[in-house]
Amino acid sequence: MSSIKKFEKPLGMRDTFPPIYEKIERTRQIGRQFLRSRGFDFIETPTLEYYDTVGKASAISDASLFKLVDSQGNTLVLRPDMTTPITRVATSKLLKEKIPLRLAYSANVFRAQQMEGGRPAEFGQMGIEIIGDKSVYADAEVLIIVIELMKEFGIESFKLTIGHAGVLHDILNDYTDHDYQRETLQRLLVERNYVGFEEAVHEFDLPVTKANALLEFINEATNLAAIEDMEKYVRKNDGVEYMKQLAKLIEACNLSQYVSFDFTLSSHMNYYTGMLFEIFASGSGFPLGNGGRYDGLLNLFGSDVGATGFGIRIDRLLEALPKEEMVEETVCILFEDEEFNRALELANKLRQQGARVTVQAKEGLINKDAFTKLFSRVVELSQGEEQ
Amino acid sequence: MNSELTIAMPKGRIFEEAFQMLIDAGFQLPEEVEMSRKLMIEIPEENIRFILAKPMDVPVYVEHGVADIGIAGKDVLLEQQRIVHELLDLKISKCHIASAGLPNTEMDEIAPRIATKYPNIAMNYYKGIGEQVEIIELNGSIELAPMIGLADRIVDIVSTGRTLKENGLVEYEHIADVSSRLIANPVSYRMKNARIQEIVSRLKKIVK
Repeated sequence: MSSIKKFEKPLGMRDTFPPIYEKIERTRQIGRQFLRSRGFDFIETPTLEYYDTVGKASAISDASLFKLVDSQGNTLVLRPDMTTPITRVATSKLLKEKIPLRLAYSANVFRAQQMEGGRPAEFGQMGIEIIGDKSVYADAEVLIIVIELMKEFGIESFKLTIGHAGVLHDILNDYTDHDYQRETLQRLLVERNYVGFEEAVHEFDLPVTKANALLEFINEATNLAAIEDMEKYVRKNDGVEYMKQLAKLIEACNLSQYVSFDFTLSSHMNYYTGMLFEIFASGSGFPLGNGGRYDGLLNLFGSDVGATGFGIRIDRLLEALPKEEMVEETVCILFEDEEFNRALELANKLRQQGARVTVQAKEGLINKDAFTKLFSRVVELSQGEEQ
Repeated sequence: MNSELTIAMPKGRIFEEAFQMLIDAGFQLPEEVEMSRKLMIEIPEENIRFILAKPMDVPVYVEHGVADIGIAGKDVLLEQQRIVHELLDLKISKCHIASAGLPNTEMDEIAPRIATKYPNIAMNYYKGIGEQVEIIELNGSIELAPMIGLADRIVDIVSTGRTLKENGLVEYEHIADVSSRLIANPVSYRMKNARIQEIVSRLKKIVK
């Protein structure tokens, strides 16, 4: 092992410097106010959880978990997501007090990186969970909140792609002969490997009608004109009906231009049971976040009341935010020995007017010009000089 | 609506073939592009910008979204496992990945050594068939390895098989088929869906 240099940080860990910190904080404030005004209550859960509970239930792959051992020998994980801990606390306690629950969070999550060392292994996530409401209105509420939140952040060019895990499962199930075939096709769709999907369909040696239906499906679903077009693949399907209803609700809010439907959308998060979606915005090469209905996760914690929600990555959100320079007046009061009191008085006066004021003794400065250059205004208080 | 599309292309032979395909698909591109040292070619008529990269780097540009789509070999995609959408098999630059070695040789019983440019593909393949192997990563002239006793087998691209033959090697196992693929960044695929789908459907018609 190579030796660690003094300034080094663990792989994927980042320092947040003041300008970025301010941006993140402002973003969090906007999000927090917005979500609170829609009746969501913020919650915090511990950074460390048991591997056997949250670690195993979470959909984050085992290799991405940071694991450690406590003094009793239990394996712990740094929380890899917020949905799983919130489900834990909701099913064990909060649901007894209120149902449905509307919870929100803004916290850091941890995922070990295997690729290129510089990618963040710890990043902020903000999101909501509606737990205990299985109606289509809960899913619509989640989607509408994402869209309005994006607008609130000032992001103009963004898109939600919505799919349905149940419908996709039914289609793949109906047109394959074995479970392994369905699983292979599903995995290829998670990777969005459409070429591989077509190759696999040819390789499986399926009856011609089934193979053709799958190939047609993949073609049509990636260029979907209307949800009704899916009906020829699955007749009288509850999921398709559900999606039609959902589309109607979004249309009623006049938000249809922000969403598109793609029934090939599939997630490695296998606890998604119904509608699921991803959030994309110009400016970031990676999806901003994702969400969906995860009744399956509730089942893992022994509850069947259903849940839906979304999470957005703060680091990627920052990339998509409109660029705006923060203009802020910063005042530096430089004082000489005798003027200490006068400096404090002046500082208080300016602070009351809303300025950010730094009080600095001249004798403490190594390079006065280099330091004062960093402020938008400098006031020097010298001995005997009049203000 | 017609926002600029950035296409990452591999330099060299594949570029010419792929470029010709785009012309055949009806895109207004100059017949002759000066392939000097330029790394970026603007085509204002189509609102397209090409960036020329090393074949191994195309998926990197696309994954990070600085290129919306790109053309990459399946070998590179298999090796790097990047998060990109694989939209279309262009069926150009066809070849395959295979293991090869000196004729009539058995692999070392304890831990055979495998020399390759593709350590991940090789590792996954041997893991998949339950062989424990030691991977030796080389950057070129892989065929040398068995000849001078560095490795029992090599894992490399084979197109005509001539290079293997000239170096006295024979192919043992066929690992994967390779051809050039059209790939897309996940965000661009959604945000510029209409344009990208149009390119896919136009190219689809002329794929042989």
